[in-house]
Amino acid sequence: MPLGIIFKRALRDIRQNLVTHIMTTIVVALTCLVFIFFSVFSLNLQRIADHFGKELAIVVYLKKDLSQEMIPSLYQKIMGMEGIDSVRFVSSEEAFKRLEKYFKDEKEVLEGVDPLFLPPSFEIQIDKAVYNPGRVRSIAEKLTHWPEVQKVQYGKDWVDRLESFSKAVKAAVVASAVLLLVMAAFVVSNTIKLTVYARQDEIEIMRLVGATNGFIQGPFLLASFLQGAVGSLTAIFAGLFCYEYVLNIITQTELIRSLNIQFLPLLNMFTIVIVSGIFCMAGTAMALRRFLTL
Amino acid sequence: MAFDLEPIIYPIGNMAENYENKRKVMLSGDQSVIELRQVQKKYAPEIVTLEEADLTISKGEFVFLTGPSGAGKSTLLRMLYKAEEPTGGSIIIDGVELSSLSKSQIPGLRRKVGVIFQDFKLLFNKTVFENVALSLEVLGLKKDQLSARVRQVVEGVGLSDKLHRKVIQLSGGEQQRVAIARAVVNRPPIILADEPTGNLDRKRTLEVVALMEELNARGATIMFATHDETLFKDTHRRVLRLKDGKIEEL
Repeated sequence: MPLGIIFKRALRDIRQNLVTHIMTTIVVALTCLVFIFFSVFSLNLQRIADHFGKELAIVVYLKKDLSQEMIPSLYQKIMGMEGIDSVRFVSSEEAFKRLEKYFKDEKEVLEGVDPLFLPPSFEIQIDKAVYNPGRVRSIAEKLTHWPEVQKVQYGKDWVDRLESFSKAVKAAVVASAVLLLVMAAFVVSNTIKLTVYARQDEIEIMRLVGATNGFIQGPFLLASFLQGAVGSLTAIFAGLFCYEYVLNIITQTELIRSLNIQFLPLLNMFTIVIVSGIFCMAGTAMALRRFLTL
Repeated sequence: MAFDLEPIIYPIGNMAENYENKRKVMLSGDQSVIELRQVQKKYAPEIVTLEEADLTISKGEFVFLTGPSGAGKSTLLRMLYKAEEPTGGSIIIDGVELSSLSKSQIPGLRRKVGVIFQDFKLLFNKTVFENVALSLEVLGLKKDQLSARVRQVVEGVGLSDKLHRKVIQLSGGEQQRVAIARAVVNRPPIILADEPTGNLDRKRTLEVVALMEELNARGATIMFATHDETLFKDTHRRVLRLKDGKIEEL
């Protein structure tokens, strides 16, 4: 059947029950807005976690009795590992100087201490382009097993907590997405059901004069897709407006500005519109099944 | 009158095509368009509407179906356009055994069988044009083609001056003529009329019968259910009586 006829009939249905359809679209928009809020929160949390995570360094403490000749070859070995950005050698003397600097006015506490009592170490920066918490852990674990290495430190707890929190937020966003979309689909399918009830006579006559299920269902499915799509699009615009408004307030502090908080990428917005439309259409298709027995 | 029963050029969908293919395979070469073989219709537990009924109606025939109220005339017609299923036997319409049709092929059957309902089944808050056009809209006809065809048929039933009136504003006789126009606008080769004159006065009744005769003269096979015996008292047409689950030829 030509799409033009389906479109015409769908628009006629919407026009005839305009108030109900507008109310439904608002409910869909509010539902999607909640989801968009969670998504933006999750996305930016991930960005912040990445931002701080990239600043993490791995410190490899070497055994004190390690000969100086071994240092260049160890340096090359570390640089040869995958995902390493830079490596810096910190000798025992330099470590002691740092300690002195740290104590500043209380330097006297270090009097009489052997300047070589601190172990030499390598400070490793992970390549930011390929950073993820799992990679930091994997590099650190490899280094632990080297015979020249005494101890490896990399902020393990912080990385682990960050990773699990990030996973939990992602799971919550996915669960909320499914839940909210099912809710939107339920609301839309019920509105469409009301339209079907109102037009039951017409549907019966259409069936008797040889209308196919596609001809009867098409306009209802299209109307529900449009409600889902228009509702989610409205939510995106509302979300974008809120984002701009809130951003203007919070970016007055330098710290927040440096985090570069962002709205959803274009692809995500497009996906939300399409998926919302498809969910609403699927809900309606299920609701219509019992009305369309021949 | 301006009826034209040349087959309409449908933009055939899959289901209509399937129906046509099935018809070509099954057509045995005879000219019967409606055939009942040992058809049985029972409603649980003991109500028998049809009992092993046999019937053959040839192409172009005009058959009256009569019987007292509740004899099962409407049920028999409903089985012919697959709104109800027989509990036994087989029904063959235009060479196709109805029990072999899948759900998706039923619309194809219903496009071949125009039905005029006793209660009209019109959309009262819509215009005459919209009601009649519905039968063509489901075929996906283009707007200009559809409009020309509707105007032609509405003129044929004498309602061209009321084309854009809402059906609720028409008299009972006029509403019945709208129902006839809707049933024939897609030029079906078979027309089933279920008590089409049941709610009409004598003058309107005779008009409807004349309309049906004209459709028949133009090639349509007609099955006209009525309990009004005066309509076929002096007719040369075939008359079938449905009584106690049996079909008798009068």
